[in-house]
Amino acid sequence: MGYPHKPHAKETVVLSKYFGDPEARTLKGWKKRGGYEMLDKALAMDPNAVIEEVKNSGLRGRGGAGFPTGLKWSFMPKEKKKAHYLCVNADESEPGTFKDREIMRWTPHALLEGTVIAAHAIRAEIAYIYIRGEFTEPLTIMEQALNEANAAKLFGKIKVFLHRGAGAYICGEETALMSSIEGKRGNPRIKPPFPAAAGVFGLPTTINNVETLVAVPHILKHGADWYKKLCLSNPKSTGTKLFSVCGNIAKPGNYEVTLGFPLKDLLYELAGGMRPGRTLKACIPGGSSVPMLNREETESTLLDYEGCVEKGTMMGSGGVIVFDDTADMVYQTMRLTRFYAHESCAQCTQCREGTAWTTRILERILAGQGKTSDLDLLLELSENMTGKTICVLSDSCAAPVVSAIKRFRGEFEDYIAGRRKPVLAA
Amino acid sequence: MADSLVSLTIDGTAVQVPPGTLLIEAAKQAGVLVPHYCYHPGLPVAGVCRMCLVHVEKQPKLAIACATQVAEGMVVRTTAPEAKAARQGVLEFLLINHPLDCPICDQAGECELQDFVFQEGRAATRYTEYPKRFNPVEDFGPDVLYVPNRCILCTRCVRFMEDVAQEPVLNVSERGDRAFIGVHPDARLDHPWAGNVVDLCPVGSLLSKDFLHKARAWELDKAASVCTGCSQGCNVTLDLRDNTVVRVRPRPNLAVNRYFICDHGRANYRWMNRGDRIEAPLVREGGELVATDWDTALDRVRGIVRGASGRAVTIASPLVSTEALYLARRLLGRFDWTGAFQVVQGEEAPLAGVPNLALRADRAPNGSGAELLGYTRDIDAAVSAAANAGVVLMLAEVDVPVETKGALVYAGTVLPDHARGADVVLPIANVAEEDGTYVNRDGRVQRYFQAKPAPGMARPAWWVLSELVADHEGVARAVSADDVFDMVAGTEPFTGLSYAKLGLAGARVRNGAGVPA
Amino acid sequence: MSVTHPEGTEAYEPVFEGHRLDELNKLLTRYPNKQAALLPALWIVQRERGWISDPAMAEVARVLGITPAYVKGVVTFYTMYHQHPVGRHFVQICTTSPCNLCGAEDVVKAFLKESGAGELGATSPDGRFTVIEVECLGACGFATPLLVDDDFIESVTPEKVKEIVRKYL
Repeated sequence: MGYPHKPHAKETVVLSKYFGDPEARTLKGWKKRGGYEMLDKALAMDPNAVIEEVKNSGLRGRGGAGFPTGLKWSFMPKEKKKAHYLCVNADESEPGTFKDREIMRWTPHALLEGTVIAAHAIRAEIAYIYIRGEFTEPLTIMEQALNEANAAKLFGKIKVFLHRGAGAYICGEETALMSSIEGKRGNPRIKPPFPAAAGVFGLPTTINNVETLVAVPHILKHGADWYKKLCLSNPKSTGTKLFSVCGNIAKPGNYEVTLGFPLKDLLYELAGGMRPGRTLKACIPGGSSVPMLNREETESTLLDYEGCVEKGTMMGSGGVIVFDDTADMVYQTMRLTRFYAHESCAQCTQCREGTAWTTRILERILAGQGKTSDLDLLLELSENMTGKTICVLSDSCAAPVVSAIKRFRGEFEDYIAGRRKPVLAA
Repeated sequence: MADSLVSLTIDGTAVQVPPGTLLIEAAKQAGVLVPHYCYHPGLPVAGVCRMCLVHVEKQPKLAIACATQVAEGMVVRTTAPEAKAARQGVLEFLLINHPLDCPICDQAGECELQDFVFQEGRAATRYTEYPKRFNPVEDFGPDVLYVPNRCILCTRCVRFMEDVAQEPVLNVSERGDRAFIGVHPDARLDHPWAGNVVDLCPVGSLLSKDFLHKARAWELDKAASVCTGCSQGCNVTLDLRDNTVVRVRPRPNLAVNRYFICDHGRANYRWMNRGDRIEAPLVREGGELVATDWDTALDRVRGIVRGASGRAVTIASPLVSTEALYLARRLLGRFDWTGAFQVVQGEEAPLAGVPNLALRADRAPNGSGAELLGYTRDIDAAVSAAANAGVVLMLAEVDVPVETKGALVYAGTVLPDHARGADVVLPIANVAEEDGTYVNRDGRVQRYFQAKPAPGMARPAWWVLSELVADHEGVARAVSADDVFDMVAGTEPFTGLSYAKLGLAGARVRNGAGVPA
Repeated sequence: MSVTHPEGTEAYEPVFEGHRLDELNKLLTRYPNKQAALLPALWIVQRERGWISDPAMAEVARVLGITPAYVKGVVTFYTMYHQHPVGRHFVQICTTSPCNLCGAEDVVKAFLKESGAGELGATSPDGRFTVIEVECLGACGFATPLLVDDDFIESVTPEKVKEIVRKYL
């Protein structure tokens, strides 16, 4: 299967227009495609005007939380007394999500353009693009693009630096990301203070996701009203979004659709549906941290912030993990909790101990040694791990557990009752 | 000022506190101790143990009391069912890898994990099928052992070394449930204030080698005291087992030492337990010192003081109480008097993160008290003056030979060779055996309390001197150190002070008089 | 737990001298303080030495004005920094859920066999390969992705493993 794919008719190709076009990676090629026009325009604008335009567009953060971007920018101090920073979150590590990687691989200049416009809007003179350590290829491509742009002196007074992570999922959490840039362990910090008041190096900071920033030049180009109209369902969810589809699916990949798009169509039409002879069992629509849906829920979900909440899950980062009828939901849940146990920063008690204990219980069930009381215990531990810690990693470990037990309890009970053959050694 | 305070209710009790106060501190005013591990008032807030979760009305989630500031009208419930359930959850998580080896743990009896589990933990764990995490005991430094299996990763030790000592030799290593407190092989935990990590550790994970297996917490008697290690005057608690001092720990005093003491002070207690004490008064009979009773010995001193003329010299140890120093001078008031005290000098060792806190070069707990009472540091001048003096009084152990053509009275705890020429030897109590005060380098007068009985017939120096002064002047005998201090308080710059006023935190002499800036 | 090095092991040769010191000094200009250059500095050490030893941590601490213990706390947080020597080629195979669904565990088995490493975390007897499972590499649509050193290889199936191993022999 070739990547990227030729856009499907139902896609709304804005951010991904040049995916697969190697020429778009070069400065010359990017400019030829209209790149950096909006940068010049934005730099000539009053920063507040940029913020207003983005506010009016309804653009919300694409990293997971969905916070309105213009509003976030407006939290930066109006009167600039100290240095301001922009941190770009390119630490894409949420299982199921691989959209920022593609953005950086194919359109590095789009990210640089969005970054510098955002830096201008929040009056930052330095922007750090935090790229996860495992992204060796995107890093190289971004380095080349940055060198070209710097040589062409495109960014005025704004300096952009790449900062490479070194293997820590939690650094995708905005306060942990700042800790990591400061040369510390990637520990999330308690809020307040919020980054706009005291962020990286203790100075006013805004953190934005890659996909959020690459949307900005398009908003400036076509106007907030155009962007606002990119909406299929709830007016609070505007614009296009890249959905990374993976797992048991015929055509995995990134698909760009207008918010409010039916998840069912994304899976069955754009991504080619199930593999031959298979049926859909479950789906995690927003990266591994959000609750999973069963088939009925999946097929009736509209992909926007509100549509996902309505089904008891979240749109998150747009990482769509598909499970077909061959998937062992107990095993897959254990894989997810093992991920969180591996990535817990060790600060909060519930997360440090709870993620590991949860995983051990699941492993024991999979080894055929589970007890009937284990499911209630898992749910109670999950309750103790939800909403009680500095960041949401602990909640993210609980989400698949709770949602899997709720929707696929029978599979857990089969292991516990010995109706299913153990898959792990005792 | 009342209108600048914030009013809130904690577990039904209304309190008023300054804006910016943390809930956990405000709760103390309501008489509520919110269970906690990572929070410590002397350290930056970490908010990681998540134990102090409380219910705040109108807030969607439980809040950690250690990082939440008070707000007007807040209604806080630490005993709300969801808060209690959350804390019970934390306790269960903390215990899953804990060895539960309380019977062999030094912390047992003063362990916050034990206390809070007893108070609100589950009756039994549900972590029964799995092996516990195990890591071997590590030797962190001269006095500190790390028992990782008991560690709850509260990071108090790491934050102390990083933010207070400002020498980060401890770290959190690894992550998730594999995490532990780590060091680098190049740097030991040998900072002069490192021992505080043992006190700060809420569980038995960081242990003092010096105190290892010496006593169970419930066997200890405690007395408030003042460290004798230097002129800083850090407030300490003496822990005793069977009348033996076995441990010195910091006693919080925000104006002096906050929550900390240095390792020099911490280790400076063994002499309090010396076995070679003078246990009876001695008087010279036919060239020999012979034991006698107090009446005989005091009579002998009265005779000496009454019969002597010319010059009198007092040579004192800076360990002597303000009360005794005062009486010693008053006793010899009619003479041409010279008083001096001996100060041993050592290396200064500041605690970087706390202003005006250091192990001071002057290893003299009451040097300032002596100076305010007219004693000088010029010990050599005093020793030469002693040669021709009519009477010389040595107060406690001074490490210089004193020779005199007059009479030598020695009041001390032990009998060094150079004091064997004394005409009278009076056995006195040491700092752990009497009440008294010291004046620190900032002019703060601080009380120390008797922790154990003095051996044999030894008596507090203030008692001995008060007997002599009372007879000499025809005034009433003092029956307590308190009485003597009232006499001290009749003179500048001590006027206005009393034991009641000093309390446990002490107070400065008038205008900080006579104290170097 | 910390490793104590025997006395008299061979002298440590500093990394940050000459052009590598220049490289670090250039990095320092990006940040308002030296500590912030810790992650990039550690990357340089790993590039030059293959792993980050205790003496290397002490050197980094010295050049950045921080303590060795602090550096060690950071090194042990980030899984991509090697605290022990690894094979000439370090192979990280994603086995998190989405890749797991697509058969990542079979890729791991094939790699352990073909490389000779035998088990996870071990180095093959010829010193060529160390193979580990890694949590999400962020290329879930290209299952199974793996990293051989800095080379990112997508859509690996057990059948393709032999050829990949041969390429790095």
